[in-house]
This record gives sequence, structure tokens and C-alpha cells, in this order.
Amino acid sequence: MEASLVVLKFIDNVGGKTLEILDSFYEALKFTFICTLHLLRPKSYNPAMRMVLTKQIYFTAVEIIPLFTIMAVLFGSVIIGAVIVLASEYGLQDKIGSIIITFVLDEFSPFFTALLISLRSSTAINTEIAVMNVNNELNTLRRYRIDLIDYLFLPRIISGMISVVSLSILFAFIMLCSGYIFTLFYMNMDFHTYKHLLISAIELKDLLVLLIKSITFGFVIMLIPIYSGLKTTNAYTAIPISVLNGMVKLFVAIFFIEVLSLLIQSL
Amino acid sequence: MLENIALIKEVHEHLATKDAQVQAREALAKINLQKISLYRVHMCNAYEIFCVCVVRAMMSDDKSVIIISPINLLDNSSSMDDVVSVIKKLQMSQDIVILDTLANETHYKEVSCNIVK
Repeated sequence: MEASLVVLKFIDNVGGKTLEILDSFYEALKFTFICTLHLLRPKSYNPAMRMVLTKQIYFTAVEIIPLFTIMAVLFGSVIIGAVIVLASEYGLQDKIGSIIITFVLDEFSPFFTALLISLRSSTAINTEIAVMNVNNELNTLRRYRIDLIDYLFLPRIISGMISVVSLSILFAFIMLCSGYIFTLFYMNMDFHTYKHLLISAIELKDLLVLLIKSITFGFVIMLIPIYSGLKTTNAYTAIPISVLNGMVKLFVAIFFIEVLSLLIQSL
Repeated sequence: MLENIALIKEVHEHLATKDAQVQAREALAKINLQKISLYRVHMCNAYEIFCVCVVRAMMSDDKSVIIISPINLLDNSSSMDDVVSVIKKLQMSQDIVILDTLANETHYKEVSCNIVK
């Protein structure tokens, strides 16, 4: 009798948790859908929104350029160097063009850019929205009938997408330049050969993958922190918990997108 | 503060940022608070924040503005006369209703407006 009660309680707990997870997942999907609808609605782009959007693009994409360039040169060079060295060791010199293009454009640039922007901007946005929520600033905006999605969320989401796309392209460019230095030393390859190698290896598919992946990353790395900030309960102590939860969910989402894109590309 | 006030007109009337800010600046000038135009909220005192709230309400297209216990929103150096003076100077088109508790009755003794108990 007692054993069956324990089993029933266990099933009840599992069921409760599952329903809770499904409910929060549905809520998140609904929020994503509403944000996407607002994104496509011309009415959302009022002067106040455009002003915030300009500022957000500056904070997310422009301010970071010096630090981002340094990081891209350091990390990009090391990684592209390792790839070229490995490729030459395994006798893959004839495929070095497509290896570099696939690695740089399809995989590393959007992923690394998304990680950097997440660390810098997503945490800030999560905290900002959580603080605004706790301080009742969001309620004040609602009382003035200011659409939170249009005024607060949409500019951040669009700036995220623009930033990740543009910085991914910059990152890819820096990595390809570093790649030339390594091919020069390891394969004694001149610039024209390297250039022709890349041009002949690049396909429309690579550019599309870079673009679609960057846009998806940009959308997600802004949407999740915003959603997490919105869900903060009314206490200052809830802010760090909100940021922590938001960041965990964000990194899971980034890796999920990366794996999903690999799966889709392998089809 | 300028952006904060201009936001209302930008969103509801789709007024260009520049024009909305001109209107916001004019409203602040009426109550001699032009100096706070570029201040952030933490740089303003309670009276200035209250004034910005009133100006923001003025910018909205609502028919009436309800102010609840204004004396509690102000610091010790401000009085109800200051509140009424701000409302008068702004020449607001809306009906202004101030709601307060009897505990704050003494603050309204010298105020020149209709008081309904």
C-alpha cells in the first residue's frame, strides 16, 4: 500500500514537472511568435523605436569592434592555424580551400560571434529588463500604452540580428586573412593562389548558412535574455537568479542551434 | 528626461523625435526646468521627477490626469502650492484630479482649487 503511494507520488511529481516545463515552453514559444509578428509589422517602427534601435546597434555592434577585432585576431588566428596545420599533416592540401571556407563561414564565425555578443550584451539586456521589471518601469510604460515589444524588445532583437550578422562577416574576414599567413608559412602559398583557392571553394550555400545562422543566433541571444528578464519576480534578489537562468537557457539554445545546423547541413 | 517625455508623442502620434523633443523642451521651459533636459533620473530631485511625470501625462492624449497623494511623491522642501503652480504653468488641457487621504488634509488648506471630501 505504502509502496504504491510512493509510486503514485513519484508519477504525480513527474507529471507536474512535465506540465510545468511544457507550459513554460509554450509561453516562450508564444512570446517568440508575438515578437516575430511585431517584427514584420510596419506599425512597430515608430520614431521612438527607431531611436532606440540606432542606440542599440551602436552599443551592440559598434562599441565592441576594437575588442572584437583583437579577439578575432587572437582566437581566429590560433584556430585557423591549427586547422591548416592539421590539414597539411593529413595531406589535405588540395582541399584546404573548402576546409577553410566551411570551417570559417559555416561554423566558427557565427558561433564565436554569438558567444561573444551573448557574454557582453545578453547579460546586460537580461539585467536591464529585470531591473526595469522590479522597479515597475515596465508597468509605467504599459500605463502610458507604450507597447513594450515595439519600444523595448524589438530594437534589441533587431540590433542583435544586425550585430551578429555584421560581426560574423568581420570575424570571417579576419580569420581568412590569418589563414593566408598560415598557408604562406606552412604551404608556401602566395596570395593569388590563396585567393583563387577561396573563391573557387566558396559556394552560395556557405554564404546562406552564414547569414541564416547569424540571424538565428542574433534573434535568440536577444530574445531569451529579454524573456528571462520579463519573468523576474518583484524583488532585487531575483535579478541575479533571472540572469543566471537566462544565460543557462541561452547557452543551451546556442549549442542546440549549432547542432541543428550541423544536422541540416549533413542531410 | 527629454527623451522620456518625448517618447509619449513619438509613440502615440508618430511625431518625429526632433519635433517631440522640441515640445518636451517647451513644456519644461514653462516650469523653469530646462536644466534637467539632459539629466538621467538619478540626477533629479523628487520635485523634478514629479514635474516630469506631470509633463509626460500632459503629452498623453488622455482626457484626465489623476494624481494620487502628490505630497508623498515630493520631498520636504516642496508644498502643494508647488504642485498647483506646476499644473497652472503648464496650462494642461486635461482635467486634473488629485486624490489624497484625509491624513494629508492640512497640506491643502491654502490651495486655491475645488476640494471635494
